[in-house]
Amino acid sequence: MPEISDIENEFIRDEIEEFIERPNEIERTVSTFAKARPEMQTIAAALIDGDNHTVDQLTRKALDSGIEALEVMDYGLISGMGIVGIKFRENFIFVPEVLACARAMKAGMTHIEPILSASGIEPVGTVVMGTVKGDLHDIGKNLCIMMLRGAGFVVHDLGVDTSFDEFMEAVEENEARLMGMSALLTTTMPYMGTTIEAFIDEDIRDDVKIMVGGAPVTQEFADDMGADGYGKDALACVELAKSLLEEAARDTGL
Amino acid sequence: MTTKSENVLPMTSRERVLAALQRKPVDRTPCCNPTSLATVELMDLVDAPFPQANREPEMMARLAETGHTELGFDTIMPVFSIIQESSALGCKIQWEQKDNWPTVRMREPIYLEPEDIKIPSDFLTHQDTRCVLETIRILRRRFGNEVAIIGKTMGPWSLAYHCFGVEPFLLLSLDDPGRTMLCLDKLKKATIEFGVAQIEAGADALTLPDHATGDLVSGEYYERFLKDLHTEFVERIPIPLILHICGRTVDRMGFIAQTGMAAFHYDSKNKPKESMDAVKDGIALVGNINNPETLFSKGTEEVREEVTQNLEAGVQLIGPECAIPLQTSIENLKEIPITVKNWHEHHAA
Repeated sequence: MPEISDIENEFIRDEIEEFIERPNEIERTVSTFAKARPEMQTIAAALIDGDNHTVDQLTRKALDSGIEALEVMDYGLISGMGIVGIKFRENFIFVPEVLACARAMKAGMTHIEPILSASGIEPVGTVVMGTVKGDLHDIGKNLCIMMLRGAGFVVHDLGVDTSFDEFMEAVEENEARLMGMSALLTTTMPYMGTTIEAFIDEDIRDDVKIMVGGAPVTQEFADDMGADGYGKDALACVELAKSLLEEAARDTGL
Repeated sequence: MTTKSENVLPMTSRERVLAALQRKPVDRTPCCNPTSLATVELMDLVDAPFPQANREPEMMARLAETGHTELGFDTIMPVFSIIQESSALGCKIQWEQKDNWPTVRMREPIYLEPEDIKIPSDFLTHQDTRCVLETIRILRRRFGNEVAIIGKTMGPWSLAYHCFGVEPFLLLSLDDPGRTMLCLDKLKKATIEFGVAQIEAGADALTLPDHATGDLVSGEYYERFLKDLHTEFVERIPIPLILHICGRTVDRMGFIAQTGMAAFHYDSKNKPKESMDAVKDGIALVGNINNPETLFSKGTEEVREEVTQNLEAGVQLIGPECAIPLQTSIENLKEIPITVKNWHEHHAA
């Protein structure tokens, strides 16, 4: 089993020791970084530090030196965001810091995405995401989308102020089996239920798994609205998306 | 701890609220709404629907007063949204319909740099700020000294979200704290001007929302960027101020209690007892009945439970945690003052 001393980058070692407490997460993170080459560890460290210029330069350099785009994404960017997500969940950092890390991830993804698109790699799944009608808040949704894309999902972002018609249309058009709704206002939260009812009325509710989130949303509210899952933050959103996709596959016997 | 109600002569709603805001003895705990109590049902009842009730003084007054006349609260709060000043500053507003609050289109920021900030010369005569001032005058004429009239002036942190966009402003706070402070310093003029104008119009107290919430930023951020500014507001807006910040805030309540603000309107993500412990009697608390789960989704029994928890913790003013969902039932809202009165009767007996 890999040890923390197997990780060359001192910054990454310190981050794991200082901020990760759950044994399974320590094991997973150590194992990932122990396998990562030093250049990837350096990219991850810059990302965790929110340094978009360095991530931009190092990503380009790594790709130019012949390292595979998928490896840079998995071991440089996503592994770094994994630590960021844990720090956010545990309140070691807050949204400004996460936004800076997201900006750094975006700087790296700018180089990686065109290569991956051209290579025809099969996505993990397709998700339709949007903030519900009457609500113009999207920070949380955007962080979820970034993490989902990083985890290999194709995400169709419907933006803010999304009606149930738009959700239905996007799900059907993209043959998405997963959909996410976000709301920040207590006035707009009930629209999640309205949208789910619209899917039931159109007899397409069973075609898609629906997850919900947003600062005032809770598991209890999600259950009341008839959602399939609730994600507290962007990290939870990715885990939820993966498990709902597995559930959907089981439902259809695929 | 809350002040005892024994030996206190019966008070008017206004006297009760003002005494509680000063943490002085009261005849009973007041029911207070520092944010909005507007519902679709109440709009229908007095024929004052959104969006017009956000822009026309007579409708705004008619809808606001239902908080006292229909629901039995000790306060009247006419500002149902958080967009009035931002509209006057030039932000684009999505006015919505009867079933939703108006919202600022933050994806279309009006400022990119602190140097862009200018408080327009017509800031206090713009339709949406003037509407609030005129409504307060109407309410004061109509209710005299019977009921506490609470106005609202947005803090510079919230105004910055509206004017720069939440994401760009939060990134600026990390990239350049000095320029962030410059933004806040320039925007505070709007907070002070609108606050003072509402005092002149007849407001008894003002809610000051400044959304440095634990869902977005740390307690350390509050101390670094806002604590001194909020202290300054206490000096420059001479009226009881009720700071409103949503979300988890226990980590900053100690700092908030040091600003000199009269009260802090707190969210149900913080438990009443832990919150009272955190402020150490340095500020009154208002709150914190949960909106989406309790007032909106549950019944009077659950409302009663939460009100009682607040009373037993010694929370000085009782009310919903934030602006209530517009589809909330009147029964649940009425249950707040009913429970407060019953609790006091029971304890007096």
